[in-house]
Amino acid sequence: MNIDITPIDCELRQDALVSWLNQPGKRLGLITSIDGSQIVTLLLDTTENTATLWESQLSEHRYSSLTPRITQAHWMERTMWDMFGLEPVNHPRLKHNLLHEPYDEKLCPLNPEGQVSAPDGHRQYHSLEVKGDGIYEIPVGPIHAGIIEPGHFHFSCLGEIIFNLEIRLGYVHRGVEKRLAEMNWQKQRFLVEAAASDSAAAYALAHAVALENIADLAVPEKAQHLRSLALEIERVAMHISDLTGLAADIGFLAISSSLGRLRGASLGMADLVSGNRFFRGFICPGGVIQDPDHRLSKLQAAAKALKKELEPVIKSFLANQVVLDRMEKTGKVSERLARDFGLVGVAGRASNQAYDARHHFAAGVYPLLKPQMAIETNGDVFCRAKIRVVELIESLSFIDMLLETMPAGPISTSIPATLPANAVGLGIVEGHRGELIHLVFTDGHGNCKRYAIKDPSINNWTALAIAARNNLVSDFPLCNKSFSLSYSGHDL
Amino acid sequence: MTSLYHWIFFLLSVALLPVLVLGTIRKTKARLQNRIGPPLWQPFYDLVKLAHKGETLSLTMCGVFRLSSIVVFADILVLAWLTPWLCFKPWAPEANIFMLVYLFALARMFTLLGSLDSGSAFGAFSASREATLGLLVEPAVLLALVALGIFFGSSDLRVIFSLSSVSTFVSSAIWIAAGLAIFFSSLVELSRMPVDDPTTHLELTMIHEAMILEASGRNLALIEFAHALKMCILFGLASQCFLRAIPQFSTFNIYAQAGLNIAGLLGLAMFVGLLESLTVKLQWRKVPEFIAYILSLSLIASFTAIGIGAIK
Repeated sequence: MNIDITPIDCELRQDALVSWLNQPGKRLGLITSIDGSQIVTLLLDTTENTATLWESQLSEHRYSSLTPRITQAHWMERTMWDMFGLEPVNHPRLKHNLLHEPYDEKLCPLNPEGQVSAPDGHRQYHSLEVKGDGIYEIPVGPIHAGIIEPGHFHFSCLGEIIFNLEIRLGYVHRGVEKRLAEMNWQKQRFLVEAAASDSAAAYALAHAVALENIADLAVPEKAQHLRSLALEIERVAMHISDLTGLAADIGFLAISSSLGRLRGASLGMADLVSGNRFFRGFICPGGVIQDPDHRLSKLQAAAKALKKELEPVIKSFLANQVVLDRMEKTGKVSERLARDFGLVGVAGRASNQAYDARHHFAAGVYPLLKPQMAIETNGDVFCRAKIRVVELIESLSFIDMLLETMPAGPISTSIPATLPANAVGLGIVEGHRGELIHLVFTDGHGNCKRYAIKDPSINNWTALAIAARNNLVSDFPLCNKSFSLSYSGHDL
Repeated sequence: MTSLYHWIFFLLSVALLPVLVLGTIRKTKARLQNRIGPPLWQPFYDLVKLAHKGETLSLTMCGVFRLSSIVVFADILVLAWLTPWLCFKPWAPEANIFMLVYLFALARMFTLLGSLDSGSAFGAFSASREATLGLLVEPAVLLALVALGIFFGSSDLRVIFSLSSVSTFVSSAIWIAAGLAIFFSSLVELSRMPVDDPTTHLELTMIHEAMILEASGRNLALIEFAHALKMCILFGLASQCFLRAIPQFSTFNIYAQAGLNIAGLLGLAMFVGLLESLTVKLQWRKVPEFIAYILSLSLIASFTAIGIGAIK
């Protein structure tokens, strides 16, 4: 996919973006900057399956915020304030996402000039205050009782009802994007896979696609098949894992332990393909690392067996009346809200957003071959669970189809020693959480000067906070699990 | 001499049965999930481990927090002595139905005070949940016992459980209804499924576990043991009711009765294990509905008892 870079005036950008988003099938991919002296906006067109990049030069470290008119820009603008010190003027809730109080006030990791315009004490964080009779505040985290990643949840409740929820992230910020721009691009893939390791295959694939996009490299057909195979197996494993979590959260132990065992079986399939249960080191720019040819018949049998074993478990899970009672109408996200926040992945499709990157953008065998898209309209916990179930079964059939049609030939092509100078590469992959974007810029010597990652969770975190409103406090964990968002993918 | 044996058996039961019942529930759950599970005596090892650990106390606590677990423990011990949950109990003073129910309420009140004293956000909301549940479930337990009281014409549980009256079809029916009501309300009382999930790590969904979140070390061991003993008393009482529904039960010798007594207790524990593997935790709004079913069981038992009294 070729990306055109269109220069656009920063002031005109706002109107242009509003009218872009008003057209059906047009989406906002990512708003970021390269070195703090410009804003780049990635626009996706899912009717033509193209991407456009707008570049607006900035003369100072402030610009007027898009957020009052384009809700989904709010989180990206906050992150840009963190990383580049670019202040969005009139942003309704400007706070730091990633750099908390202990960081130096002048630090702007991706802007060589450092923080210029921010006032003293700008790192101080203030939760939204809810006042009134009977308001009860529950702070939860950042360290949780289960083995999960850190995030702070601040509930303001009226009795057992959640009135407002504020989510604070950034506790596992490791400076991944900055490190990626510093290191040799041939080694980036190892860091990329480790950045959000439950999506290792998706991250590695997006990275490979982005670099191949820059180098204008065609990947052998067999490698494309194996890459899609990896991505679908990862999806199967994670969807089973999320369903396990849903069952455990409502105390349905029989189902959660059965599904937990079947997740192990799907990780075994990953092991058969790549020699690693989490696809570490399998996908690389140019193709894949190893050819699992002699193990593919075993894999096909494993996929069939898994599908057969899953069906009765899922059936007795979702047919249970009390399960329905817990999940239906819990954590509802309306279609309008899903559109405004640009929801992606399972959460988006549960609220009638017909968007699956596998149907639009090239990566692996997609979009030539693709599974059916699952779609639901109610946007509650049950719809999100159902989407996972349908995708899971679809993916297993798709794995079977990929194995049937596995072409012969080489599994990789050699990559050039240097990348073209001043080029842009884009990789869009539908991971198990949704649309993952890797955007890579090279400098005058063909080295990577900026590596931007948009994890699917970035679109969805705020929607979780809003979905929790007017629900029972004791239903929040269920709601949270139904979104199943990544902390490390967001914090990077 | 027999009374000495009774005391020995009773004290052994108080010390060992709570651990065994808890272990049985855990083992059943593990086996039903195809796991081997911890050894049957694991709860005992856990208590020993806790007793050797240091204790962390919040700076905002006053003495109520430590006092509460001691009061609860003492209160449950008294209940173990008074309540007829075992057939081989030593002599005890009159066990009035109303006194028993409010001794349970006393234990609840001190647990609530302790959790409020800890000053954590979880402690306060779980205390409010526990208070709500207590309010709802108290009439169910009380009415189940009152039904027995009406039928046997006494409010003293020693008389009710004395095995002196002749067993009839109606008495069996009342014993079963009362036993079911006591068993199901004990699930609420003890914060077990389907009302509360004792194995969850999710603080926001907890009731009992969130109340004792701030307890640690020996204090926690005391609370855990008191809770397990309370479980034994309530399950034991329910199994006693079920056993008395067997017409020939009063003709068995004391050893058979004691054996059935303990088997019934462990049987209920296994049933709880089964229940907790197969049921889904109810939504908080549906819990009153569940308690309403228990209350109707108690009401059926009471009305039957009153009706029979009127016919006599």
